[in-house]
Amino acid sequence: MMAILQIIFFIVSAPLLSGLITKIKNNLRMRKGQSVFQPYYNLAKLFSKDEVIPEAASWIFRVTPFVVLSSTLAAAMLIPVFIFAAAGCHIGDFLALVFIFALGRFFLALSALDTASSFGGMGASREMFISSLVEPALCMVIFAVSLQFGSTDISAFSGRHAITISSVVAALALFLVTIAETSRIPVDNQETHLELTMVHEAMVLEYSGRPLALIEMASYIKQMIFFFLIAQIIFPIGLPAVNITQILPWVLWYLARLGVIAVIVALVEVTVAKMRLFRVADFLGFAFVLGVIASVCAILGV
Amino acid sequence: MQGIILFVLLASTYLMVIAKRMPALIRSFRYQSLCLFGVTFIVALTQREPELYVISGLLFVLKVSLIPYLLYRIIRRIKVNEELGLFINPQISLLWALAFTYLSWIFASYLFSSNNAILTGTLAIAFFVVSAGMFLMVFRMTALSQIIGLLVMENGLFLLASTVSGGMPFFVEIAIFFDVLVSVLIMGFFVYKINKLFTHIDVNKLSRLKG
Amino acid sequence: MLNLQPKHLFLLDPLSLFFLVVIFIVSLPSLIYSFSYLKGEYSAAKIMLAQVLLLAFVLSMALVVSVSNCLVFIIFWEIMSLVSYFLVVFDTKHAKSIQAGLVYIVMTHIGTAFIIAAFMILRNYAHSFDFFTIKNACQVLPLQTKNIVFLLFLIGFGTKAGIVPLHIWLPYAHPQAPSHISSIMSGVMIKTAIYGIIRFVMFILGVNSSWWGVLVLILAVISCLVGVIYALMEHDIKRLLAYHSVENIGIILLGVGLAMFFTSLNLPYLAVFSLIAGLYHLINHAIFKGLLFLCAGSVYKATGTRDIEKLGGLIKKMPQTAVYFLLGAMAISALPPLNGFVSEWLTLQAFFLGAFNLIGGSRLFLGICAAMLALTSGLAAACFVKAFGVTFLAQARSHYAQNAKEAALSMRIGMLILAVLIVIFGLAAGLIIKLLAKVSGSALGIDISRMSFSLNNFTLTPQIAKNIYLSTPSLALWLILFGIAGFAIYRIFGRGKSVIYKTWDCGYYRLDSRNEYTATAFSKPFRIAFSFFLMPYRKTQKIRESFYHVKSFTYETHTTKVFKKYIYDPALAIVFKAAKSMRRIQPGSIHLYLGYIFITLLLLIIFMGQF
Repeated sequence: MMAILQIIFFIVSAPLLSGLITKIKNNLRMRKGQSVFQPYYNLAKLFSKDEVIPEAASWIFRVTPFVVLSSTLAAAMLIPVFIFAAAGCHIGDFLALVFIFALGRFFLALSALDTASSFGGMGASREMFISSLVEPALCMVIFAVSLQFGSTDISAFSGRHAITISSVVAALALFLVTIAETSRIPVDNQETHLELTMVHEAMVLEYSGRPLALIEMASYIKQMIFFFLIAQIIFPIGLPAVNITQILPWVLWYLARLGVIAVIVALVEVTVAKMRLFRVADFLGFAFVLGVIASVCAILGV
Repeated sequence: MQGIILFVLLASTYLMVIAKRMPALIRSFRYQSLCLFGVTFIVALTQREPELYVISGLLFVLKVSLIPYLLYRIIRRIKVNEELGLFINPQISLLWALAFTYLSWIFASYLFSSNNAILTGTLAIAFFVVSAGMFLMVFRMTALSQIIGLLVMENGLFLLASTVSGGMPFFVEIAIFFDVLVSVLIMGFFVYKINKLFTHIDVNKLSRLKG
Repeated sequence: MLNLQPKHLFLLDPLSLFFLVVIFIVSLPSLIYSFSYLKGEYSAAKIMLAQVLLLAFVLSMALVVSVSNCLVFIIFWEIMSLVSYFLVVFDTKHAKSIQAGLVYIVMTHIGTAFIIAAFMILRNYAHSFDFFTIKNACQVLPLQTKNIVFLLFLIGFGTKAGIVPLHIWLPYAHPQAPSHISSIMSGVMIKTAIYGIIRFVMFILGVNSSWWGVLVLILAVISCLVGVIYALMEHDIKRLLAYHSVENIGIILLGVGLAMFFTSLNLPYLAVFSLIAGLYHLINHAIFKGLLFLCAGSVYKATGTRDIEKLGGLIKKMPQTAVYFLLGAMAISALPPLNGFVSEWLTLQAFFLGAFNLIGGSRLFLGICAAMLALTSGLAAACFVKAFGVTFLAQARSHYAQNAKEAALSMRIGMLILAVLIVIFGLAAGLIIKLLAKVSGSALGIDISRMSFSLNNFTLTPQIAKNIYLSTPSLALWLILFGIAGFAIYRIFGRGKSVIYKTWDCGYYRLDSRNEYTATAFSKPFRIAFSFFLMPYRKTQKIRESFYHVKSFTYETHTTKVFKKYIYDPALAIVFKAAKSMRRIQPGSIHLYLGYIFITLLLLIIFMGQF
């Protein structure tokens, strides 16, 4: 029961996080900007619009939004939000999470190629390039984090009390990976539709209406998952399954952690310029090296 | 008596080695076979085995009469220059033959240290004849000399076998004789064909078999 | 010397049975497939010959994995190589087939020479060819000899398996063979080399030194990365699959190498676990690579070309083949809940569990190897997005693809069997791991009766770790449920209809297939990122009519074939130079040859006394 509630909470608050980041960015740019709940309004708007399907597309184009959403939701099942044991703790562990995201990404890239447009092909090529370089960095982060607990289960590192150097460096590496995976500057720009600069947006360029809403929702949830993982590595907290009345302080603590990370991401997005695609390889190589350093620190017991 | 025949055999072998033209070669081969026949006949007389008579008879028929006749016929038919191409001139060939004789003498006495001089001598001559056959095959250019070299080697082996062990088994001998006859016939035919195709039988010019 | 009774000749322990299962699982669908594939391409007599050769091939492979005598093993190994050579050069119309066959037969015989050398050394100590006698003798083998025999076996079997740098025949031979033969060769024949390594190195020799495992791991990681990077650059669909075979052999050897490493460190549970991961990936790879080659064959038969740059839009013309290829592509990219995901997860988990239970610097080594495995799986997914997307999706890029038709029934049945197996092996992971545990236990000689590998039939839980779970059936269930939920949301909420219209064309009219992304363009980021290894170069040619008017401009981009250029071409040049210098002893003169004979005779006579 608790598990299902936590998943629903997770899903419902995902667009809010994105709206929060946009609000902070706008404020940093000295503008009032859109409201924090704008993503919800966008989703509602998309649901009321028609859908245009390209002529060249096949069944893969139509099926992809559902695959992407279901894979992201299945990944969300693996995350312990408030309680130690996640809803789907018997389904998989941290490594399975990586592969489940790969499922969604695979189909998204295929659907991009399916549209027979150059934008789609370009977006798919760049996205697969970036994601294949993300994999070793992510693997080293998982390695570093799980070395300390003897388990790759996500709920295993929920109850720690001490902050170690290894976990901080691992969180930094995971932060770099998150920027790549959630399509934020300096890797990708979510606000642009210029051919030179878009990666994820290029893949979903041809989507419209309700499928686009599903894909956007999936990307919000993915972002939430990654931010949560970073927060969990640095400030671990967890709660054995208790009744609902004791939830409130923990909810606030959870939101506070995510808020901090959102502020950091927004700062990075506003201050740093987007990198050239081939520099992303160096960027992710740096994340890999950080992961190796985190592993070394974990081996040394620091 | 045996010693004289062996001496003549040796001399005929030297003659073969220094021969410059084909008829000379065949003639010396004939003499050599005649001597061989003589040796075998004497052995047959002393041992009184009917097989040996037959063998020496065959030797006479084949090696003294038939094969030289065939070889003469080949030469007449192909009508080429009767010169045996020489890689080594006759004088140096003689020196080589003397060296071979000396080496075979050493080898024979090393193998078969007995007091019977005739036996050791025969053995040495047999080895020398074999090496003379090899010499002919390697250092003479025409195809005919290779046929004759083969025949001479066979002569030498026959001599060796009959001295050391009193001859090889009867049927083996017969078989060898017929083999030799047939091979001469075949090789004669091939020489004829080679001449027809290339208008010469100088084997030195046939050098396509290379790596 | 040779005991020919079946009881002594055949060895049917769990490892052999497992490999027999692998062989038949892939050969049977290929056989069914070949009926329609060969029809219409060759004359009836040649088709009969092809089927006879195929049966001989499968039979020889089955015998290779089930005999227990070294001599008989080599005989059947040679028969397998020869029959597959004939199958590779089957299509004698193409000059490339002959060249491919030549490279293949030379490489495989070099490997066989090493294996025979190893057998000879072992026989020297054991005085017998029987496996069990040799196994007993190996326990007292001196360490130096053991190392040499291990290296000989590794090179010998590595040539057949396709470990880098001995992999060079794979991209030549697999594309040229008929597709069902490629699927058997890639799916099964290179696995018999892995059987050889497991049987001879782990079962018979016995692993005692940890550097063996480390060496195999390093070679495996290099094979993975090299294989997948070259695969990304390929546009011939079957060469792409051949390079992926190199990569997957690397992944299998990661599991096997880990098992060797853990055996030498006396960690039996981990050794069995790693070998389970390796064997699981072995059978998975056999299935999905077999399926992918069969699909590639259908595409080739329908369109007449293997170049994916000329294809496109085939999903509408060959819908079933497209589904099978998609399943194979998903499996090889390790996407849940299919079988490739389970075996890669198990291999990664083997690395991680090893790191948890070891001490010292080797943990970092295991971690980095795991990261390299993650990199290859990401690159493999990228490569298959390219392969599937460019071949099947969007619009047709040339006339080849426009006239394609769906594959014939027997071809589809063959592919269907393998596709169903992919799904089964993914969902029934817990059950299969129990079976593989018995196989690994017998191969390593470890008693597994007290080890447990799963919680219940549906969930995998390694005993040695805390709270790690994986359950592919429930994952599949949740994925389907969420998918249905998403679809329900799509249907129920919102108004609006679906309109089919042209793709966004930036205001140009008449976009055609030339606007689509090409495979070369898709792989360009990878070409640039890995340019230190690929060393791409370009050739351009301008033909001008006048200074201002360029009539045509040709642009070619190539990647340097590093192994061929820096290892094999120099080696071949040295061999040919040596052979040329040896030619001088054969000038063609008969007299000289006769002289050689006589001198040899003389020397023999003179020196005969010494022996």
